[in-house]
Amino acid sequence: MGVRRRIRRLAAVITVAGLAFGAAACGSGSDSAGGGDPNTLEVWTRSNPDPAATYERVFAAFTEKTGIKIDYQPVINFDQQLQSRASTKDLPDVMINDTALMGSYQSQGLLEPIDPAAIEGHDQITDKTWSSTVGIDGEHYGIPYSRQAQTLMIRKDWLRNLGLDAPTTWAEMIGVAKAFADRDPDGDGKKNTYGMVVPGSAQNGYAAWWGASFLWSGGAKIIEPDGKGYRPAMDSPAALRTVTWMKDNLFCGDNGVIQPGAITAVTGTATNFQDGNAGMYLTGPYNIATYDATPGKDKFDVVPFPAGPAGSTVLADGENIYFGARTGRTRQEQALASFLISPEGQRLAMTGENQPVVRIPVNSTLDAAQVRDDPRWSVVQKAYEDASEQFPNAPDFAPVKQDTADALNAVFTYCGSDVGSSLKELNDTLAGDLEDQDLLK
Amino acid sequence: MTATTSAPRRRGGLGTKAVLPWLFLAPGLLLALVFKFLPMGKGIWLSFFDVRPFLGDQWVGLDNYTRVLTDHRFQDAIGHTLVLGVGQSLGAIVVGFFLALLLEGQARSLKIMRTAVFLPVVTATAVVGELWRLMYYPTSDGLVNSALGFLGLGPTPFLDNPDTALWATMVMGIWMVAPYNMVIILAGLAGVDRTLYEAAAMDGVSLWQRLRHVTLPAIRPAIGIVLTLAAIRGLRVFTEVYVLTGGGPAGSTEVWMTRAYTLGFTRNDIGGASAASVVLLAVTLLLTVTVNHFRKRGDVR
Repeated sequence: MGVRRRIRRLAAVITVAGLAFGAAACGSGSDSAGGGDPNTLEVWTRSNPDPAATYERVFAAFTEKTGIKIDYQPVINFDQQLQSRASTKDLPDVMINDTALMGSYQSQGLLEPIDPAAIEGHDQITDKTWSSTVGIDGEHYGIPYSRQAQTLMIRKDWLRNLGLDAPTTWAEMIGVAKAFADRDPDGDGKKNTYGMVVPGSAQNGYAAWWGASFLWSGGAKIIEPDGKGYRPAMDSPAALRTVTWMKDNLFCGDNGVIQPGAITAVTGTATNFQDGNAGMYLTGPYNIATYDATPGKDKFDVVPFPAGPAGSTVLADGENIYFGARTGRTRQEQALASFLISPEGQRLAMTGENQPVVRIPVNSTLDAAQVRDDPRWSVVQKAYEDASEQFPNAPDFAPVKQDTADALNAVFTYCGSDVGSSLKELNDTLAGDLEDQDLLK
Repeated sequence: MTATTSAPRRRGGLGTKAVLPWLFLAPGLLLALVFKFLPMGKGIWLSFFDVRPFLGDQWVGLDNYTRVLTDHRFQDAIGHTLVLGVGQSLGAIVVGFFLALLLEGQARSLKIMRTAVFLPVVTATAVVGELWRLMYYPTSDGLVNSALGFLGLGPTPFLDNPDTALWATMVMGIWMVAPYNMVIILAGLAGVDRTLYEAAAMDGVSLWQRLRHVTLPAIRPAIGIVLTLAAIRGLRVFTEVYVLTGGGPAGSTEVWMTRAYTLGFTRNDIGGASAASVVLLAVTLLLTVTVNHFRKRGDVR
């Protein structure tokens, strides 16, 4: 009898405490997030504090113009946070994130389909750019917001010190990298410099992200469209040639061509270009503002990626604007998207003292170099327009990218390994990934 | 003070007395329920589904489990997890034991030393990881490699060599956990009867015999606690690895949790990641119960 009474009391206590707790949670929720207000949009971007300041400026201008308020959240570990929000079926209204994630989001049903014609100013975005937001079912799932392509950042003062020119081919690039490592380009009498920065870790798929430009310029593909589906293409002779070349020349060749620790480096830890002890870095243009501070605007140049056996085709990516599924604020969301792609919105996001969040404008009436009054941006724009390729956005590319990164990282780690059999194994894994999505043809 | 304690007593009754502790426990229990046990339950539930929050989850039964358990990457990860978990736990206990022996006593300087030695425990793992990345830097600029340089040994790429990366991670783990064990063992040592040492000294026993026959039996309960904690903590190692190597190079430091993390958050396979976590939960539970069983049996003896 005592026991039962105790249990009943315990239940009562828990219920009361639960009610109090629940009520408190509800109260704070509706106060802070403005969840019920149809005129407030919750917007997420994957941004550090510095680019977030640029976004804040853009959103402030939008609110002033339209009266629609923005509850802005810069989220650093975006994917993790988004997955946990998705599991509660409460997504942000608008998300701005990588183009290559569109297929992944769409396959999970996180996105609302978009009718380009409903977005004011849609005709100022080229058809080619619009085509990059078509999902696997033929509908648009994103609105292009910013584009970029990889270019080579290179220390021009080091080139000058050594009497060298910027490389235009892979062979020349290796020559320059060796010279940067061996011939004391900073003139301090110590051997403390490296040729090139490589974020070669498999974590988050970095090895595939950075390696993609090499693969494409070497004539290789990761997966290829095939009829209505895709097929893996990492067993091609071009892929074998390119990966072998990378392994022999960059990772397993002379010491110092790439920075030490490259094989476990992610972009956050690969800071050697900024630290001033590595001379080249193949990366996106978002770092230009950072590098203008250190090593300094007069110290480095932005040049096209040197040509491989199949020319110079670099990885292009960028950000799209996505509408979270089932939020029911379509009018406000469309207004925000229209503003973000308008010349005014794009201009605001490209300038200012913080890191720009629009790199190459999607609005075809703007010119990156002109808006910024900085000719280096025309190198990036030219690379994007003439010689770039994106990760396919229609299928869920996340597993493909991760598996490719894992395989490349392993090949570059084990210098004695057989590249051919590793790539064959990768190809089988990729086939499995595509089969999981019913895309293998 | 007197008023508050006497009031319930006057109304008396066993019931009130029994409810009081529950009342104090309630907030903690509630928080644990909301933030620990409900998510855990949901995780177990999700492990049976192909998780697609907006398209409707699809029941797949044990598919996620078979997929996870037959995946060779997960199988490799089990090996690494065991090596890392066991090595790190035993290493941290041995090092913690010797630290405790060295730093036992009442002197003020020892207190300062103990505080200094304890610092790694209260430092965020992410910060420790970044520090050790710098210490392991694969050229003579790195602390460890510059020390090796004095001995005439060439710089070693600790984290970038698949043969050494796991061991390098283990050393950092031991460095982080050993002081925690030290504190528990110190508490055990405080209870050792000093007269036993004196008697042993009179009998002229060696240092090793003293450790073996006096100290170790006396701190047995402390070792038991440390072992239980190690069993719980050992297998779910994550942050150390994630910060230090991210599972690389070539997957040589991939452990169960980093693999589950990649599955869930890079490949968006929440169902598979849940299944992997449930397996880990089950194994950890089993291990904890086993360690506890042997500990209790030892105590009875």
